Amino acid sequence: MSRSNITLSGLSASLLALGLAPDVLGADAVFLRAVNLNGPALQIDGRQWDGTNSANLLISGKLFENQSVALKPATDPDRARMIRSSVWGSKVDVSVGGLPSVECLVVVYVWEDNHSEQFDLLLNDSYVVEKIHSGAAGSWKRLGPWRVTPKEGTVKVSARTPSHGAANLSGIEIWTGDGAIPGVISESFVTELTVDQTAFFEKKIRPVLVEHCYECHSSTAKKIKGGLMLDSRAGVIKGGDNGPVISPGQPEASLLIQSIRHGDPALTMPPKKKLPDSAIADLEAWVRMGAPDPRTENTVATAAAKNAIDWKKGREWWSFRPLNRSAVPAERLGHWPMNDLDCFILARLEKAGLKPADDAEKQVLIRRATFDLIGLPPTPAEIDAFLGDTASTAFARVVDRLLASPHYGERWGRHWLDVVRYADTAGDNSDFPIPQIRRYRDWVICAFNRDLPYDQFIREQLAGDLLTAGAADGTQERIIATGYIANARRFGSRVDDYPQHLTIDDTIDNVGRAFLGLTVSCARCHDHKFDPIPTADYYALYGFFQSTRYPWPGIELEQQSRDLVPLVESARRADAEAACKAYDTEKRRLEKEVQKLKDSLKEKIGDEKKPIESRIKDAQKSSKDFIAQPLPFELAYAVAEAGKAVNAAIQIKGDPAKLGEIADRRFLTVLGGQQLPTSDPTSGRLHLADQIANPGNPLTARVMVNRIWLHHFGRGLVPTPNDFGKQGKLPTHPELLDWLANRFIESGWSIKAMHRTLMLSRTYQLASGPGDEAAARDPNNELLSSFPRRRLDAESLRDAMLVLGGNLDTSPAGEHPFPPQWEWKFTQHNPFKAVYDSKRRSVYLMTQRIQRHPYLAIFDGADPSASTAVRTSSTTPLQALFLLNDPFVHEQSREFAKRIVATVQDESGQLQFAYRSALGRKAERAEIEQCRSFLTSAHTRLTESGTAPDQLEIEVWQSMVRAILRLNEFVYMD
Amino acid sequence: MNTRPSPSPVSRREVIRSLVGSSLLLPGLVSNLLAETDVADPLAPKASHFPAKAKRVLFIFSNGGVSHMDTFDFKPKLFVADGKTMGVGGGLSNQQRRLLRPGWEFKPGGKCGALVSDLFPHLRDCMDDICLIKSMKSDDNEHYQATLGIHTGSFFFSRPSIGSWISYGLGTMNQNLPSFVAISAGSPYAGTQIFNNDFLPAYHQGVRVVPGKEPIANLDRRTRQSSVQELELGLAGALNQRHLQARGQDSELAARIRTFETAFHMQTEARDVFDLTKESDETLALYGMKRGQTDGFGWPCLIGRRLVERGVRFVELVDGSSSHNWDQHGDMAEHAKHAKNLDQPVAGLLKDLKQRGMLDDTLVVWTTEFGRTPGVDGEKGRGHHSACYSSWLAGAGVKAGTSYGSTDDIGAAVAENRVHVHDFHATILHLLGMDHETLTFRHGGRDYRLTDVHGNVIEALLA
Repeated sequence: MSRSNITLSGLSASLLALGLAPDVLGADAVFLRAVNLNGPALQIDGRQWDGTNSANLLISGKLFENQSVALKPATDPDRARMIRSSVWGSKVDVSVGGLPSVECLVVVYVWEDNHSEQFDLLLNDSYVVEKIHSGAAGSWKRLGPWRVTPKEGTVKVSARTPSHGAANLSGIEIWTGDGAIPGVISESFVTELTVDQTAFFEKKIRPVLVEHCYECHSSTAKKIKGGLMLDSRAGVIKGGDNGPVISPGQPEASLLIQSIRHGDPALTMPPKKKLPDSAIADLEAWVRMGAPDPRTENTVATAAAKNAIDWKKGREWWSFRPLNRSAVPAERLGHWPMNDLDCFILARLEKAGLKPADDAEKQVLIRRATFDLIGLPPTPAEIDAFLGDTASTAFARVVDRLLASPHYGERWGRHWLDVVRYADTAGDNSDFPIPQIRRYRDWVICAFNRDLPYDQFIREQLAGDLLTAGAADGTQERIIATGYIANARRFGSRVDDYPQHLTIDDTIDNVGRAFLGLTVSCARCHDHKFDPIPTADYYALYGFFQSTRYPWPGIELEQQSRDLVPLVESARRADAEAACKAYDTEKRRLEKEVQKLKDSLKEKIGDEKKPIESRIKDAQKSSKDFIAQPLPFELAYAVAEAGKAVNAAIQIKGDPAKLGEIADRRFLTVLGGQQLPTSDPTSGRLHLADQIANPGNPLTARVMVNRIWLHHFGRGLVPTPNDFGKQGKLPTHPELLDWLANRFIESGWSIKAMHRTLMLSRTYQLASGPGDEAAARDPNNELLSSFPRRRLDAESLRDAMLVLGGNLDTSPAGEHPFPPQWEWKFTQHNPFKAVYDSKRRSVYLMTQRIQRHPYLAIFDGADPSASTAVRTSSTTPLQALFLLNDPFVHEQSREFAKRIVATVQDESGQLQFAYRSALGRKAERAEIEQCRSFLTSAHTRLTESGTAPDQLEIEVWQSMVRAILRLNEFVYMD
Repeated sequence: MNTRPSPSPVSRREVIRSLVGSSLLLPGLVSNLLAETDVADPLAPKASHFPAKAKRVLFIFSNGGVSHMDTFDFKPKLFVADGKTMGVGGGLSNQQRRLLRPGWEFKPGGKCGALVSDLFPHLRDCMDDICLIKSMKSDDNEHYQATLGIHTGSFFFSRPSIGSWISYGLGTMNQNLPSFVAISAGSPYAGTQIFNNDFLPAYHQGVRVVPGKEPIANLDRRTRQSSVQELELGLAGALNQRHLQARGQDSELAARIRTFETAFHMQTEARDVFDLTKESDETLALYGMKRGQTDGFGWPCLIGRRLVERGVRFVELVDGSSSHNWDQHGDMAEHAKHAKNLDQPVAGLLKDLKQRGMLDDTLVVWTTEFGRTPGVDGEKGRGHHSACYSSWLAGAGVKAGTSYGSTDDIGAAVAENRVHVHDFHATILHLLGMDHETLTFRHGGRDYRLTDVHGNVIEALLA
């Protein structure tokens, strides 16, 4: 099998598309027989084709026909009809018999009806072409001819897909003789050059290539553009990212010639200035003569070797190196350290000649710890208890109490939801709501509350469904956990051409950032520019998710959700899944029924419309009635195994229509590259999870302890928590980071234990605000000589206001009040858009992907479409306007005022109650005076402006409270 | 407690940035703040890469896909070919369709004689000020993707809006107003993403203005008496000062105190922008408005002028919404209603800018997400058509009174001089003195551009 055959097949197709019937050399070959697979007998190019039921034809494979696909290129109706009926499968055999015992020429028509696939072709069980790309939907090719001698009058044409996809064979032509087959050109790259050809190349071709092409298309180029190298014969033959650039003998069909003619504005070469006509003519002549090329050096191989990733060097990057076990630095400042963590911090401070700040006051500390761990202010009673507890373990008791609070998971679960870009909608053009995804949110909150070991936390989110086999309990929770993958963003409006590759990309991007602190998705279109992650690694991961069934949230052109996972005990699982499938199928059938009727309505006019309209109504009603019937079990928006586990083909430049080599499923090479064992029949997600959660993985523990650190100290030891690669920042305390990571693993991956380690350090308990020396020498407080003051995040601020108003609803979150599914008619014109009022904690606010929640948008809430590692903390007048005028603030102020007045009788007591509730401390004398003077003035002004006497006290206090809610002291945490 | 000033350069820079972010700061406030630091003001006017006439932009976006062959792209053969069936390329229109005759007659406008249909009689008078592009090309036949594309250069992923890029590149000319304002009555396709700063710093976010009673959220005082609000701010101010002093003049805390002063004044000062009482009857008539009218497209156009007049760098005027727009699948006659809404106000805006001399340094852009099919859709409508459509530029630095590019006989494909969305963006940046390949932002380990890795400046559009 020569390479030229592959090129030629594409060529013949394009020639037919152009309507050109090239005058081929010499006499035509002799037509023997042609068969239309899975179609009727018909005439093509004036020749009679046999139908699929004709004699001497044996077909093994699945039959398929779709006459509504638009072919690319378009062709005559009979040929189109023949092409669009086909036999398909991963293993297809067609035996065409009744042939004479002479050498035959075989031509095969193949096509693609939906997604690009890859397959091999065989003749009489010998491979003739490998890795044929079927192309985008509607693509077709006339492949061949290949020479083969029939066995007992029969030629067997087979297609095989070694690891991926399926082939669609449409028709077969058998010819004989030495002549050419009409419409198919036989020509190949010249291998033996004549003297004249060499001279022509040296004189006319090489200078043009050197002058106009090498800058971008040679091994010496600064950057090789389009993967094309024209500085060697190997490069010319190989072509670029868009495939071969030369069809030998056929300038018209050669991409190189098309591009230098500047005919298609999408591809003009050289891009700035067209070549002189004479040079274009020379290149055309060169292609026509078979591109004779005397160059022998293989620059393609040289460039490949040059661009290969230097793994040894790559692994030397700090975050890829194994965890260090450095000794805890010896303490010098007497008894200052409370635990080993402090020794690391102190050693650095001493080296810099800085002294740590004093300890924080107890009332400051409890406010800090309470907001940190549960995201709410401490109550006056809690403050009193702590102030009254003089034992050395008093603070440890506070920490334990807070870690045991159910509010802990609501706070720390939210941090994780930031990282996994959690949202309650899908993010497609109509932003479909996902009523069931809240179960994943609740699972995350619960996982933090029960201190699920972090390695298990990883496994359940990536492969919870695969962990259920043989498990006695917790299977439903584990299925819900895979909502992590299901929650990946969806795109577009269309069902055909659905960009699943973008959803998988979003998954890989998040897995990389969230668990590994790596920007893996940068390797989607080309090898990662900075980190040792080749494109092959990206598609090695891609296979895990391509083998995974994502639930369908609904989309403009197919509104009903499907492929959700039933939540039942293991014994009922199979039945429930079958019931789900039947339910989904029926739902779809009913939806299509309505659509079909609506389509038919378009063609009717006048009175004809009426009966159809009433039928539509009936169909809509049956659809609604069916959907409204609940299934006898709950559903999870979670993933499952796809029908078939596959390895993914590399998508050249990230284009799913351009497939390259297959990348076997494995973990990232730089982290070990552990292959999925061939014995594993699953998608392999558990294998992937195991590699991530492996204690030997240098990144996983580092990344997570850094996140925990970030939320306690306002800044990570690595300031870029989602990027531990070369574009990220280096750790400020590398030894401490590794010490913590080791400790994390040794504790059984306990997050709560890590909180204790961090919070029971003296470093955590320091007063805020840097001292003189520190401010001058460590202006960013990287060395942590004091506690970094910070603004409350959006959720804490809102929740704190609800608490003060006595309005926080702590009952279980439950469902969002989405409209029922049978009423869904979301389109990009009228996308789902809602803001639901709620008095629950902000983590339970319904958040959309496309429309930002108005409150969260003002106060730097997490990005619901992309992983948020660090919240920005902006200070804008729009925030001030919110606190001045938003009805929410006014309502909470009113409720808080009522509580103040109802709880305490005397003014000074009321003031103290307000202060202790909002600021966690007693008002000082000067403040009391200022506040009293305010109360008097407010009383006067409100009286003057005619406030009803029975409202006066409340209104005065409401005014006071509004002032307090705007205080820096309320919004900042020392 | 150990307390001292914390002149952390990073935090101070962030403070200034966020202060200016989406803010309507009082004059002098920013310079005062900046005087205390050696940090450059992120929204201060920045020098462009090279000299340019255009200093500010009014970007008018018509939702839904405006038919090119019914407005600015005269196709005589399509009038004749009515009813013939043929296959025409491009997405939804990639089928055999019956060709549909344009519904409006074309007449020459201005001295240049550019042919414009009867849908736009007022704009037709302005053709000498307009540089028409008849060979626009988008990449997607879905509203959402194409709308995102014309705003961000990205058809699937959220990216910074063109207004945010320009704010980032040039800063603002008035510290008292945001640098990027989007006037949008309804929700456009792809939602608020289209005027979002995305990964650019927050102060480049488009501040949304909604025509009506409270154009900016929470701008109206909710306490009955302003004196009570003043009293509250007085107390908070005093307590905040006390808190600040105990913390050594932390600049972040100081900045937050200032935001309340700013917000307090915004309640009245920003109102001035929306107060049209001082506009003359003649001016209102130019925009086709009645006094007190806030519906229709006159209000956005006039407010747009008032914003750029006060130095706002980029103002987007959104025509229509995702649910009410130019998307006429069923009956092209509906185009008339949308054209009537748009025509006089936009023409009035051009005339008003011209008579005030503002057209010399203001770039006006009109575009839509894609054109419509030459073939019929539904009974009398047209489908989505990204293969070609029309847009125009007017004002500073633009070759006025000309037309560029062309489509084939029936308006199905670009015939010559294609202007892809990326080229359009590159050209707009160029008109503002910016090189689209140089205006980059490092994010997630990569340098991003408005034009991704594409785009060519179309020199023929430049004066």
